[in-house]
Amino acid sequence: MNPDASAPRGQFCRRTRREFLWEAGAGFTGLALAGLMARDGVLPRVQAAPTPGGFVNPLAPRQPLRTARAKSVIFLFMYGGPSHVDTFDHKPALYPLDGKTITVKTFGRGGRKNEGRVVGPKWAFKPYGQCGKQVSDLFPNLGRCVDDIAFLHSMTADSPIHGSAMLQMNTGKILSGSPCLGSWVNYGLGSVSENLPGFAVMLDPIGGPISGAKNWSSGYMPASYQGTVLRSAGDPILDLQRPEGMTAPMQRRILDSLREYNADHAAAHPDNSNLAARIASYELAFNMQRYAPEAVDLSRESEATRELYGINSPRTQEFGRRCLLARRLVERGVRFVQLYAGGAHNDDNWDAHSDLEKNHNFHAGRTDRPIAGLLQDLKQRGLLDETLVIWGGEFGRQPTAEYEKGTGRDHNAYGFTMWMAGGGVKGGVSVGQTDELGSAAVEDRLHVKDLHATVLHLMGLDPNQLSYFYGGLDQKLVGVEEVQPIRAIL
Amino acid sequence: MALVPPFLRRLRSRLVLAVVGMMVPLASAAEPSAADLEFFEKRIRPVLARACFDCHSEEAKSVKGGLRLDTHEALLKGGENGSVVTPGDPQSSRLIASVRWTDEDFRMPPKRSLAAAEIADLEEWVRRGAPWPSEPNPTAGPRRRGFEITEKDRGHWAFQPVGHPVPPVPQTGPAAPHPVDAFIGQGLRDRQLAAAPEADRRTLFRRVHYDLLGLPPTPEEVEAFVQDRSENAWEKWVERLLASPHYGEKWGRHWLDLVRFAETNSYERDGAKPNAWRYRDYVIRAFNSDKPFDRFVREQLAGDELPDADDEARIATGYYRLGIWDDEPADRELAQYDQLDDLVATTGQVFLGLTVDCARCHDHKIDPIGQRDYYSLLSFFHNVTPYRNGGDTDEVVLGELAAAGAAPAKALVVSESGTQAPETRVLARGNPGSPGDRVEPAFLQVLNPPQPRIVPPPSGKSLGRRLALADWIVSPENPLTARVWVNRVWQHHFGRGLVRTPSDFGRQGQAPTHPELLNWLAWQFMEQGWSVKNLHRLILTSAAYRRSTTISREALQRDPANDSLSHFDMRRLTAEEIRDSLLWVSGPVNRAMQGPGVYVTLPPEVLAGQSVPGSGWGQAPPEEQVRRSVYIHVKRSLLTPILLGFDLAEPDRSTPVRFATTQPTQALGMLNSRFVRDQATRLARRMEEEAPGNTRDQVARALYLVTGRPAAEEDLDRGLRLIGSLSEQDGLDRQAALEAFCLLALNLNEFVYLD
Repeated sequence: MNPDASAPRGQFCRRTRREFLWEAGAGFTGLALAGLMARDGVLPRVQAAPTPGGFVNPLAPRQPLRTARAKSVIFLFMYGGPSHVDTFDHKPALYPLDGKTITVKTFGRGGRKNEGRVVGPKWAFKPYGQCGKQVSDLFPNLGRCVDDIAFLHSMTADSPIHGSAMLQMNTGKILSGSPCLGSWVNYGLGSVSENLPGFAVMLDPIGGPISGAKNWSSGYMPASYQGTVLRSAGDPILDLQRPEGMTAPMQRRILDSLREYNADHAAAHPDNSNLAARIASYELAFNMQRYAPEAVDLSRESEATRELYGINSPRTQEFGRRCLLARRLVERGVRFVQLYAGGAHNDDNWDAHSDLEKNHNFHAGRTDRPIAGLLQDLKQRGLLDETLVIWGGEFGRQPTAEYEKGTGRDHNAYGFTMWMAGGGVKGGVSVGQTDELGSAAVEDRLHVKDLHATVLHLMGLDPNQLSYFYGGLDQKLVGVEEVQPIRAIL
Repeated sequence: MALVPPFLRRLRSRLVLAVVGMMVPLASAAEPSAADLEFFEKRIRPVLARACFDCHSEEAKSVKGGLRLDTHEALLKGGENGSVVTPGDPQSSRLIASVRWTDEDFRMPPKRSLAAAEIADLEEWVRRGAPWPSEPNPTAGPRRRGFEITEKDRGHWAFQPVGHPVPPVPQTGPAAPHPVDAFIGQGLRDRQLAAAPEADRRTLFRRVHYDLLGLPPTPEEVEAFVQDRSENAWEKWVERLLASPHYGEKWGRHWLDLVRFAETNSYERDGAKPNAWRYRDYVIRAFNSDKPFDRFVREQLAGDELPDADDEARIATGYYRLGIWDDEPADRELAQYDQLDDLVATTGQVFLGLTVDCARCHDHKIDPIGQRDYYSLLSFFHNVTPYRNGGDTDEVVLGELAAAGAAPAKALVVSESGTQAPETRVLARGNPGSPGDRVEPAFLQVLNPPQPRIVPPPSGKSLGRRLALADWIVSPENPLTARVWVNRVWQHHFGRGLVRTPSDFGRQGQAPTHPELLNWLAWQFMEQGWSVKNLHRLILTSAAYRRSTTISREALQRDPANDSLSHFDMRRLTAEEIRDSLLWVSGPVNRAMQGPGVYVTLPPEVLAGQSVPGSGWGQAPPEEQVRRSVYIHVKRSLLTPILLGFDLAEPDRSTPVRFATTQPTQALGMLNSRFVRDQATRLARRMEEEAPGNTRDQVARALYLVTGRPAAEEDLDRGLRLIGSLSEQDGLDRQAALEAFCLLALNLNEFVYLD
């Protein structure tokens, strides 16, 4: 298909086959689902042969329309909003202003303000790598990876409030009810792995993020595209584990008998392929029980690898395990992995409203080495080129203090930093700038939708074409207006 | 099990090919198949429109070469140089040669060739015989240029009066067929298709039992129906089911999908909406009492403004308070318009079947709905107080429902901000910072509506605008409301509507398969006082509803989408039907109706996804755990896994059609989840009680419960073999082996699919 950007848009609200088919009713879906889906505008060809028995996996892998740089995404979500001026956005002018009240426009949970008391950055910066990128002392390990990283210093979002900003970072919209980035990627590309979910979410054991499952919902898309919570300990996927007393051979016997009953039933309805699909789905479930635990079993990882991710140190052990797991998942074909660093409320995540130093020392301390380990490990295995790693929160933090006393900073959606690495992204580059205080993006301003467009583009999808017909509109992750990927980092 | 006719076996192998994604046309016939038309609309028409219409259509400044490609007739006629398409033969079609740029004289489009995939699509299309829909499709036209409502716009089928259609009189067959069948029979004759025979009585009973109550029939009920040889047995049993209180629970749920019912606000806190459950109960009562649909609409939109407003009518206005609500918006003014937009979108789609909300930022791109229309409609709601999640403006104390001595009962309701009408302006690009022309309340202009007659109610608490809107929506002159609702009722009996896009009757929606039948039903519905139960009677007594799901070879070839309704389409049970059936077949259930939402036990893994695990969720006592799914508390960010897995309606927006996905994770839940295993245990216990000591009887009973028919001998033998091998080879005791068999029974396709 011609990704012709000059084509008039909105001329046709092209309905996706899928919606048409659902509306058309089960008889029709059973008949022609795969054949039609395969020719969906965004799904040019089904690549993999369907599972014997006719299960048409909605997540069957599909070739992107254009050359993909990345095959998988690992989104390291720094929930709560890390302070950019204390991490990667070096603002020398801010240090000497510490404690001084200045005029600056801010907008956070405390509302709109026109002045505030500066909190000077609490960590020193130093240059790293060949590019000489300035990184704060919070990230000494990550500092050594800067030549692989593209920093986006001029990010902006539409809301400085956690709930709506999280939704926007995950779904593109500040209103609840839309599919997540991970859903879109799986909708467009399917997943290579049949035994693992295509969109896996690993929460911080501290707690889930606010709004919970809304952050991995498929919104108006079918449930096939929603994120699956994957746990790093215990039963990795809900209901994956056989109940106590149910052995694999027993379950096999039950499933064999079930298949016989179902085959008799299906024989009387040869036109309905949904029945065959459901039969096959039990075989896939049986296989998932066998393979998914292996995917999360870290026991065969070498000592060097465990060391690399910081699994041997109590401080970094937990996040290190999840980073290593993320690598194992993308190795096994999972398209989109999202890791939350931080959970629950207040200082259990990066939301440093009161004591910035304590908060950021804690959260950076438990993630710096694991993330650096992940990047190095992906690189040494040749996976970094095809794996896009994203780092960032739902917004950044203000240069000024939130309260009369203390070092806490309020939310800042006017300007913040995210970074990307791998997956076809240039390393050692920085795009955009905030003002000298870090209060707002002033140069090459970027919006969340630019980030999303870049992710889709790198995955071989056209952000302005990938659409899903819902509620009378061709809905797109990036919205109705055309958005270009961030060329400067490609 | 019936033997499969040999031709179906052959077909099956062809179908596998289709499923693999090959471009194997199932059949070529004079009438283009739905798949062909879909191919055309999706892959061909957009390419023609984008690449060709500038020079080769009615809209072209000058038609080049005398060739137009915007109608089927014009395409076949060709241009000054003769024919351009030979249906079925791409090689000799000049259209194909020119888009391939192999024809030196005609390289089309001249500036930039089409993409290879597009050329391949065009070839495939010509190979299929260049199928083109017979009805003019207005979406073929170029995007709307400026906004004006044309005669063509007003001529759209859905905007025509319903009229007084008369069922056709067939030349053959029974002298006075059921009117529904008279309409459908005509289409079958036109397509030269035979109707499938009537389904057997057990199948029929299970079908209608689920369609009306959402629950499985008991074996005793099935047998009683089968044995009932009286002439009007069917009508009698339909009547009995319509009188069941479970009917309102099933059909109320369809309505709750449409109005995006939930009991929390979404967002960061996802706080509970006070007493939202009263609205749910109101809906259930309304269906059970067969409240006239026009009254049902008026109560929800303007119950407080009705001259005879009672508690029921007030509770109904909870309609306005069900949407998502950000208690901490980044932009308060925009958020207020988002709330209003939610009302315009829901009202437009649910009652009128139009996506009015597409005109928030600009004129509707496809339908004749201007941005002015949008804001005129919004103005009916503009005086509604912003939602505050409780308090004086959101809640009212109920008089009639309050029990003596009890704490005052409250309901979630609408209210308005005084009697001074706010100013409504068209917002450029939907931006509250860019107000434009002022608008007054007005109905959609394309319908040539009357001026709204706005009379402030005597209460002095509101403007009366909402009542004016409600009255217009249900006025017999409004061509949409009755059509839209009868189509939804049809949809839930046949698996899809006569219009397959039930919330979009506009130009990008699908045209009705049986327009006259739709009109007739809408007319009957209004004639019979908007009685929903009468509408059920009308539909359910037709032969069309009672056909078997067996598809004939001819139907499969000529009408694979079953547009002609030659047979009945199988359907998968809905999420609630699956959970309720699991409960109903397995053991004692709690039939209690209404009341505050139930907090069923959720797995700790699911609660762990919350920022504060368990927050906003409770723990219902065991007897509450076995209540129907419609009573589970709907917390937007914490949906019950088994319901979510089987495609529950996403509660943030209106859901006109549920998905029916098939996923391995569903199988995991059905095999391993605590909930389903508990039901298997309960079912095994029930079998021990109902057929003590006799394994064969237990297997027979369990199978009957889940399938609604007596098990065949081989089904019994297979079950006994499984129980035997689980005992012998896995060392399970009788009880455990029976439980394992019960788990199997609950996983049968026959259990979750309806014939």
